[in-house]
Amino acid sequence: MMSRREGETILIGDEIEIVIARIGRTRVKVGIRAPRETPVIAREVKLVRDENLAAAAAPPAAAALSGLLARLQPATGRARRR
Amino acid sequence: MPVLETKHFGKLSYEADSELEFPLGLPGFDDRKRFVAVHIVENDPLIYLQSLEDPALCFITMPILSVDPQYRLKVSGEDLGYLGLNSTRQPRIGDDVLCLSVLSIRETGPTANLLAPIVVNLRNRKAVQAVATESGYPHQFALMPQETPAQEALPHEAAIC
Repeated sequence: MMSRREGETILIGDEIEIVIARIGRTRVKVGIRAPRETPVIAREVKLVRDENLAAAAAPPAAAALSGLLARLQPATGRARRR
Repeated sequence: MPVLETKHFGKLSYEADSELEFPLGLPGFDDRKRFVAVHIVENDPLIYLQSLEDPALCFITMPILSVDPQYRLKVSGEDLGYLGLNSTRQPRIGDDVLCLSVLSIRETGPTANLLAPIVVNLRNRKAVQAVATESGYPHQFALMPQETPAQEALPHEAAIC
């Protein structure tokens, strides 16, 4: 853990620099300088990417789908928000 | 009418103007920008998202309101820009946009990604997978929960304690 004020910087190793650019009421704007080969993405985007890769890996086989379809109707309902 | 040889549907002919354009691709498939939505009546409510650039790439989706009739869509200003939509208000599902949830078929049962719905502008067919970073919606919502109804009523975090 490390506390920083607006405008202050954190270094990770020699090549990664994180600037706390602005602190708002509910969100923080962060500037990140990293080598080109280091991907910088929000965690949610990685979750979605992994989920898409998993979704695409399971092809829509007809048998599996008919089972899914038969069970879909009664099971779908309101999703909870965390 | 263009015809596409696909892995899962064989030859697929489609109207050229039914093509969906994802200017950014999808996370994990950044260079896949052209898709068509395939609806097979017997498989309703499923909608298949078939890539026009990769015959083997096909996502299984369903309308997000079929997963959660109360789903609240929130698209970022940046994504609204890619969709060519007015950034002063949120698009309405059905009126302005088609909103689909990508399904994953797992051994433990199918799940729906509610964190990042596919949003298609019905007027220009531009599309994005809109990651709803602050929505709190899960990326793996179980379509057919394995738990008993009593456990199902608890929040996920509580159920695993």
